[in-house]
Order: sequence, then C-alpha cells, then structure tokens
Amino acid sequence: MAKEKKRRINAVSVPTEILIHIAMILFCALCIVPFILVIIISFTSGESITEKGYSFFPNSWSLESYKYAFEMGYVLWRSYFNSFFITVVGTVASVLVCALYSYSLSRKDFKYRNFFTFFSFFTMLFGGGLVPTFVVTKQLLGLHDSYAAVIIPLMVNPFNFIVMRTFFQTSVPDELIEAAAIDGSGEYNTLFKIVFPVAKPGIATIALLNAIAYWNEWFIPMLYLRNDVKHMPLQHLLVSMQRDVEFLAKNAAMMGAEASKAMQGTSTQALRMVLVVLAVVPIACAYPFFQRYIVAGLTIGSVKG
Amino acid sequence: MANAAVKKQKRSSIKKAGRKKNLLLLSMVAPGAIWLLLLRYLPIPGLIIAFQNYKLGQKSLVQNILHSPFVGLDNFKFMFTTSDTWVFVRNTIGYNVIFILLGLVLSVTFAIMLNEITSKFAAKSYQTMMFFPYFMSWVVASYFLNAFLDPTRGLIPELQKSMGWAVTDFYNDCKPWPFLLILCNVWKQTGYSTILYLAAITGIDASQYEAAEIDGATKWQQIKYVTIPHLKTMIIILFIMNVGKIFNSDFGLFFTVPNQSGALIPVTQTIDTYVYRGMMSMSYGMTTAAGFVQNLVGFICIMIANTIVRKVEPDSALF
Amino acid sequence: MKQKKLLALLLSAAMVTTMFAGCGAKEETAAPAADTTTETAEATDDAAETAAPEENKFADHVTLKWYLHGSNVSDDAAVLEKVNEYLNEKINADLQPIWGTWGDFDEGATLAINGGDDVDIYFTCSWSADEYNKYAKQGAWVRLDDPSNNLIDQYGSDVWAALPQVLKDGAVTDGAAGTGVYAVPGFKDFGTQNTWDVNVTLLEELGYTLADVESRDFYSFGDLLAAAKEAKGDDFYPLVIEGAVLERMVTNSIIVNGDTAGVLSYYLDPKDVSNDIGSKVVNKFGTDEYAKFANQVREYYLAGYIDPALANGGTANDTLVAQQNAANYLIGTQSYALGYEYTTSAARGIHVEYVPCTDPYVDKTATQGAMMAISTASKNPERAMAFLNLLNTDPYLMMLLEYGVEGTHYTLDDNGLVVFNDDARATYSPWRNGMGNITLLTPTADEGVDFFTDTFVPYYTNAKAIPAFGYSFVPTSVENELASLANVQAQYALSIDCGSVDPATALPEFLEKLDANGIQTVVDEANAQLDAYFAAN
Repeated sequence: MAKEKKRRINAVSVPTEILIHIAMILFCALCIVPFILVIIISFTSGESITEKGYSFFPNSWSLESYKYAFEMGYVLWRSYFNSFFITVVGTVASVLVCALYSYSLSRKDFKYRNFFTFFSFFTMLFGGGLVPTFVVTKQLLGLHDSYAAVIIPLMVNPFNFIVMRTFFQTSVPDELIEAAAIDGSGEYNTLFKIVFPVAKPGIATIALLNAIAYWNEWFIPMLYLRNDVKHMPLQHLLVSMQRDVEFLAKNAAMMGAEASKAMQGTSTQALRMVLVVLAVVPIACAYPFFQRYIVAGLTIGSVKG
Repeated sequence: MANAAVKKQKRSSIKKAGRKKNLLLLSMVAPGAIWLLLLRYLPIPGLIIAFQNYKLGQKSLVQNILHSPFVGLDNFKFMFTTSDTWVFVRNTIGYNVIFILLGLVLSVTFAIMLNEITSKFAAKSYQTMMFFPYFMSWVVASYFLNAFLDPTRGLIPELQKSMGWAVTDFYNDCKPWPFLLILCNVWKQTGYSTILYLAAITGIDASQYEAAEIDGATKWQQIKYVTIPHLKTMIIILFIMNVGKIFNSDFGLFFTVPNQSGALIPVTQTIDTYVYRGMMSMSYGMTTAAGFVQNLVGFICIMIANTIVRKVEPDSALF
Repeated sequence: MKQKKLLALLLSAAMVTTMFAGCGAKEETAAPAADTTTETAEATDDAAETAAPEENKFADHVTLKWYLHGSNVSDDAAVLEKVNEYLNEKINADLQPIWGTWGDFDEGATLAINGGDDVDIYFTCSWSADEYNKYAKQGAWVRLDDPSNNLIDQYGSDVWAALPQVLKDGAVTDGAAGTGVYAVPGFKDFGTQNTWDVNVTLLEELGYTLADVESRDFYSFGDLLAAAKEAKGDDFYPLVIEGAVLERMVTNSIIVNGDTAGVLSYYLDPKDVSNDIGSKVVNKFGTDEYAKFANQVREYYLAGYIDPALANGGTANDTLVAQQNAANYLIGTQSYALGYEYTTSAARGIHVEYVPCTDPYVDKTATQGAMMAISTASKNPERAMAFLNLLNTDPYLMMLLEYGVEGTHYTLDDNGLVVFNDDARATYSPWRNGMGNITLLTPTADEGVDFFTDTFVPYYTNAKAIPAFGYSFVPTSVENELASLANVQAQYALSIDCGSVDPATALPEFLEKLDANGIQTVVDEANAQLDAYFAAN
C-alpha cells in the first residue's frame, strides 16, 4: 500500500517538483519574513527604532520591551491562562456541536436535512445587528463577566457546519453508515465509533479553525467582560492597548491638553510587538500538533483505499 | 394476499425505524439549533431599528423600539446621497471579486502542489509557514507593511534612495495600493483556504488515482479528472459563501493597513470604512440600516448564485 | 415522539419570545410605578428641604453602576471595599464601577445605552461616542433640573453650589425633556489655550531666545525652522504638529460644538477672545485664512520641516509622541494645561516653554469636556444624583476613588502632599479628569501645596467666555450630510493641514466635494441655530 502511494506521488516529474518547491519556498518566505521582522523589532532598542525605523539589522538590541511586558505581572499571566482555558474548552465544545450538527446534515436520509441546512445558513446572511445581539446575549441569556460569556457567543460558526458537512459527505461513504446500521449500531455509536475516526482530518481542521478563532478573539470579550480582569484573554490586552492609542489619536484634537497627557501613558510600539510575539507563539506551537492529526488522517484515508 | 400483508408490515417497521433515526438525528442537531435560535434568530427583529428614528429614554431595547416613530427609508439615504457612493460600491465589490477569484485559483493550486510533494517533511513545513499570517491581526500586518513603505524609515524608500531612484511616497500615492491590498489579502488568507482544500484532497480515495493511472492518465489528467471534480463541491460552497459577503469588506485591511491615509481613500474606501468614518455623525438607525443593506445584497447574491448552481450542478447547490 | 420533540423545540422558542416580550410587559408596569415614585419624591420635597436626614429617603439598599472613560484599572477591590463601606452609611448604596478604557468605551457605552443596559451613571462629554448634546436630544439622559422632578434641588444642591457658573451654563442643552441640564459637569481644566511648544534648549543652541518665538507667528517661523534643519540634518523635522490643532491655532478658530465631521469653524478675535466680532459659523476650509494657512504649511512641508508620518492618521500619533519624548523638535503645537511646562521639561530632559496664541478661553466644548449623566434606563436616578452630589463635594470619597487607599496606593509627605506608590497605582489609575471635581483632591508633591487654590482655580475661573459661549450645534436634522462630509474631510483635511499635498490642486477639489455633499446645508442649519441662540439671549 505504501509502495502504491509512492508510485502515485512519483508520477510528478522531477523538474515539475523542483518548480513546485521553488513556488512554495517563495510564497512561504513572503508569509514568514514579516513575523521574523516582528521578532527582531521586539528585541530592538527604542533608540534604534527612532533613528533607523524598523529594520532587520537594528543598530542596537534591547530586552527593555520584554522586561516592561513581564512587569505587567499578574495581568499578563492571568490573561495568558484565560486564553488557554477559553481556547481549550471552547474548541472542544464547538467541535462537538459542529460535528453533531453537520453529521446530521450530511445524512441524505435525514428528513429535516434541508430545513436545518437553511436554518444555519440563513444566519450567515442575516443578523439583528450589534445592539439587539448584545441585548439578547447579555440581558436575556445573562452571559457576562464569566468564561461562558466568551465561550458561548463564539461556539457556533455556520460556515464550519457547512465545511464539516461537506467533509462527511465526501469522505464517509454511505455504505459505511448503512453497514453499521445493519450491524445494529445505534446512531450515536455509529457517529463516535465509526464516523469520527474516518473523519479525523476534517475534525482536526475544524478544531484548528475554532482554536484560532477563540485564541484571536478580542471583540466578544470586550463587549461581555468589560473590566473583568479575571476572565480577560491575552488578545484583548493586546488589542485594547492598540485601541487606546488609536482612540487618543482620533480624538486628540477634540480632547485638548488631556489627550497629550493620556498619550504619554499609552504603550509603545515595541511593547505591542512583544505582546504580538507572546500571542502568536503558543498557537504557532500548537499548530504542528494539529497538523500531525491531519497527517494521521491522511494515512487513514489511504488505508481505506 | 399474504405477500401484501408482509410488505405492509415490513413497511411499517421500516417507518418506525426511520422515525427513530430521524429523532436521534434531530437530537444531534438540537444543541446547534438552539444556539442559532437564541443567539442569531432572536436578535433579528432588532433590524426594525433601521426603519425608525430610534429614540432612547425607556427602560429596555424592546420598549425603546415600541416608542420610536417609523421614518421609512430615511436612514438609508446617507449611503446613496453622497458623491462617493460609486467609489465605495466599486471598491467593495471590485476587491471582493478579485479576492474570490484569485483566492480560489491560488489556494486550489497550492493545495494540489502540496499534495504532490514527495517529501512529507517539506510539505508539512510549507503548510505550517503558509498558515502563519492567518494568526496575525491586520494591526500587526499594518506594522509590517509600514516597515517596508514608511516614507522616511521604510526599507523600500531607503533602497530607492541608495539606488538614486525617485522615492515613492507610498501613503500618498494611490497607484500601488490596489496591488498592495490584494497582496496583503493573499498573504493572510491563502494559507487558510489551502488547508481547507488540502483536507478535502486528502479525503479522496487513493484507489481512484490508481485506477486512473492504470488507464494511462497523466498527472495533469489525474488532476483534471479526479482531483478537481472532487473539490468541486468545496469550491462551489466556498464560492457561494464568498458571494454572500460581496458587499462586506475586511475593515482592518482597508482602514488599518493603509494607515488610515486620506489621500488613499479613492482606492481604499469600502462600505465599512465609509460607515465607520461617518459613525460619529450617525444615528443608531443609520448604522443598522447600513448593516441591513449589506445583508440584503449578500442575500440576493447568494440566492442568485445558488439558483444558478442548482440549475447546472444540482448536487453541489447549498440548499 | 417526533412531535413531542418538535413541540419542545417550539415551546422553548415560545418561552424565549415571551421572556423577551416579558421584559417589555414588566417595564410597561414599571413605568407608571416610576411616576408614582416621582410624585412621592415631590411630596417629600418639602421634607427634603427642611434637611431631613438622608438615610430616611433611601430605605432600600441599591447598587449603582457607573460607567467611566479612560481608566487603567485592573484591581479595584481594596478601593471598593472602603468606598462601599462609606456609601452604605451615607446613601445606602453600593458602587459598581465599569472601568471603560480609551479603546473600549465608545463601543461599550453606546451599546449599553442603546440596549437599555442597567447602568445608572455614564461618563459623557462633547467628544466621546455618547456625545452629551446628541444623546440628551435622543433621550438617553435624565434631565436633572426638570421642573416636575428637579433632582438637583432634591439631591444635588451641594454640588450645584460648588460649581462655577460657567460650567453650569455650559451644561445647558436642548434635550428630549426641554432645555436644561442633563449631566453634572466635572470641575476640571475647562479653559482652552493653544500654545507653541518650544524646545528652548535647542532654540538657544541655535543662538535664538524665547523672545524670538514670542515676537513671531506661524508665518514668520521660517528662519528658525531653517536654522534648526541646517544644524540637525536631513532626518530632523523641526515642526512637530497635530494638523487639526495647528489649523485652529493659526486661523484663530475654535471647535464648533456638535460638528462631528470637523468641517466647521467659528473665528475669534485673537487679542480679546470675548470680543464679539460678528462671527458666523463657516465652512472651515472655504475661507481666505484657511487658504493662506494651507499654502504656508505646504511651504514648510516641502522645505522638510514636517515629518510625513504626521500626515497619516495611522502613524501621526505614535510619531508625535515619539518625537516629543525624544526632544526631536524645535516648535510644536500643544493645547495647554496648567503646569504642563514642568511635566514635559522633566520628561523630555530639555527646557520646554509654551508660548500662547491667545488668552485662555472658555467655550462649550471645553465646559462639556467631562460630565456625568444619569441614564433614563436607571432604576434609581435619585440615588445616582445623591452619589454624584457626594462625589463632587466630599474630598474623602473623591480622594479614595481617584487616588486609591492611603497607605496602599499613595502616601502623604511631610507637607501633606500626595506621593504615589507606583506599584499599586499600576493596577488602579482612573482618568483623573474623568470623574468630577478635581479641586477636592489633595495636590500631588509635583503640584505643590497651593496648586488648586492659588493657581488652578484662579486661572480657569478668570478665563473669558467666547461670544457665542452657550451655543451648541445640534446636528440631528443634517445627519446624512454630516456622515458623508466626515468622509470627505477624512480624505483631505489632515493631508492639507500638514502640507503633504499641494493645496493648489487639492483644496479646490476638496471644496468642490464638500459642496457636492451638502456643506452649505450644514452651515445654514448651524447658523440658523446660532441666530436663534443670539435672539434668545
């Protein structure tokens, strides 16, 4: 089987593959270079930024920004922890909801299939706007100032439903499910024991997407947590620093002398770069982990063949 | 006759089994459906504000709505009475069309390329790096770009100076920006959709390629007759989805990345930045109206796209 | 069974809907109830005036939610413990502050107001997203001097007595419940004085003195800037400016209160700011003064005196702050606050002086610079007013909320002045001007013992009011025009104000676009309101 696989891949000629590598390397360089620049900037001294601007080769290096960031102490570590907690719990919950919903949609023999497809799809097009959504979530459902207030509003993404449904449709043969039903397997048993293992690549993809969404989210925490440091994730810290600066810049002319004073107290660019690095590193580390599952899924895919 | 009776009995037991199955599947749908009902459907009546001179002063949103007078389409006027309507409509839709087409071609190509690479390690590394920009916010991206373009400290103007060329004043010159914005979008989004397509490609049954190869199909033919047809559903779905967002734009890309530069507005203004820039002067009804128009345009486009797809390729239609 | 399931689904949907409607129904009955409390309040009015002890009026214990702006607070437990202990005793209430920051207040507050959130007191002012006049007109704020239920007389007479007249006049606006006061203004630096920020150290290095700046104006700075550029090299930009502020300084115009698009001007007499020179509201960019200014700033830009980064909204601010802090400038623009020269000289390590363009003036924008409004969605407006009254008259409470707990967040030195404990303050620093009467505070060691009594209060109370002081433009009828004008303004104003585009081509284009988007309608409406204001006064 492994031999057959190799033969298939070998079908691409060597020059073609070299071309592919060149194209990939170029594009990957484009993707990765800016991040290297951010890392360099985060270690660049303030004077060097003033003198030379951003550069791959700064005049002088400094740990000043990291020192300043770590001096934030409790707030930084707490928000770091919150980000992890929210991401892990949120991802598990949302993958579960998504898999259940989209599995049903993928079943051609599900009577209400079309209705529920449209039911989820419609919400991608129409929403009630910011204020009504805020009122329902906060006042009616009572979601505020808790982990649930950050996890639940992001739990469902109709787009993922559709991606996942398609994945089930294309990678899980109907015969597999039918065979399981004939063997007397219950619906949930079929889903968890038979369909899930086959659908691992899809689930890993959805899990990754959800994890990134949770990790990067700052708007929902801003709306529903307000000044609740206990539950605030890291991205919120980062974005709020950025927004503070933007707000003051926008309103400085109206605020008068106050603005200048307030501006002196805002974060420096280098510090924000440090937080960017701190925010990106964990998800960059987690990614290969997910990727292994995608690769594992690949093997399963060929076993099936 | 006896035969018919047996058939009937069989049918009723099948029916019973079917009912049970549907019920179980319904219970799987339930968590997601309840979520959608509460967090997405319930707020929808709030759109009524778009047609009101929304007044505060009551103790709740519902009360406020009940006490506010209707003003017809007054709240929608501001989007269509300005001399710039054409500019932001053109930019919003134009960029989206380019993003959709270019994104599709690039990510399908990349996904196929990645799938063909012999070295698993290399394929994995490329995949990892490609996905990187997706983690980064537009604010960060705007710093990157600024590092290259800044008129006094940027890498490119420095280079131009040292070569004795004329220095481009990037933030005041509209010409390069359509290209730059497209580049930024490709940079950030391609990795993500490549992974989506790659996940679908890896799900393709390997025996199909084997069969094709035995039939003497070249690699190119395999891609054309096996890979692409398998990706078709995915492509169509992503396409229809994107069409639905044709009147929405990525605010960070069009506002933050060009450093909010006024001189670039002719090529960077989209409906979202337009609404944002006018926000302080707008009533809440006007903001809601803008969102409503975006929804409506998206809805119509999706319906059209889906209808066309259903005519041509019934199996791939979204609903 | 299937039916059952569907039924359950439908039922839960119906339940939620009724819950939603239920809110409405409940409020419906609550509304008359509120009226009756109003009546009782009126009935007890006489009793209140005969100085009944406050406790009697507030038999039930409540929690007041208070939404603030510009805070940097991550740990308020120690402060709130003391505050609540005190407030329980005084007005039988707990305080629950919502520490809005610069970055999140706009979104948070407007969502809360529009959604009828249970916040009792909001920060509001002339420049935030919950703009005072606009939201008063829309009915978001409780009218405090409502003749039928005058909260100020009943619960806020102390704060009202303590405020300067000009602030009280500035708070009058045409709101949903008639012309009156809809928020308690904060006693802060309410005078505006635009100044040239001069790097005296560099100036003297170049062989000039402060007198050389004082005797010149914007149009004759050329030789000073040239000398600085000459001495410090190509990468040095001697003129560090905020475009919009520079424009106002040079043309002697002020912000027209309520002009959210930044397209209107009102000209002052620079020699005597209170002198009525018969000004009208005009299109900011359509005057000869503006054209002259634009040409001059372009000349300076082309000569390399202005950093191009200052002409982009995204980079302007970081650049401004960075260049100021590094003392990389000769002359800058600064909206002045008292004592600022000492702060900045110390921070930048140079000798900084501020050369004023005019005397300090008081306009409505500045008097509405920081206010506290009671939400119409509040269930306890009386208690909220009583809290604001206490906050603005009780030094203990004000000190506690502004500076934190003595011994933890700050200590008093030998002269009885405040010295901050930086570690504790890092987790608790509200925006000082965003709460209320700052003259109640004990001065900091930097400010000196007599700061408020001898310096602050006289400086601001002696500031002169501009001719059309009480006027504020309420743009409700021209929202459509303003929304598109704001976009036109965003395209051109900052670039022209900083000289990064050629006014010879950009200005006519700009004016044409302003015309096409209804600037005249806005100017006419603003002037109609101005005339009405003058006729009434």
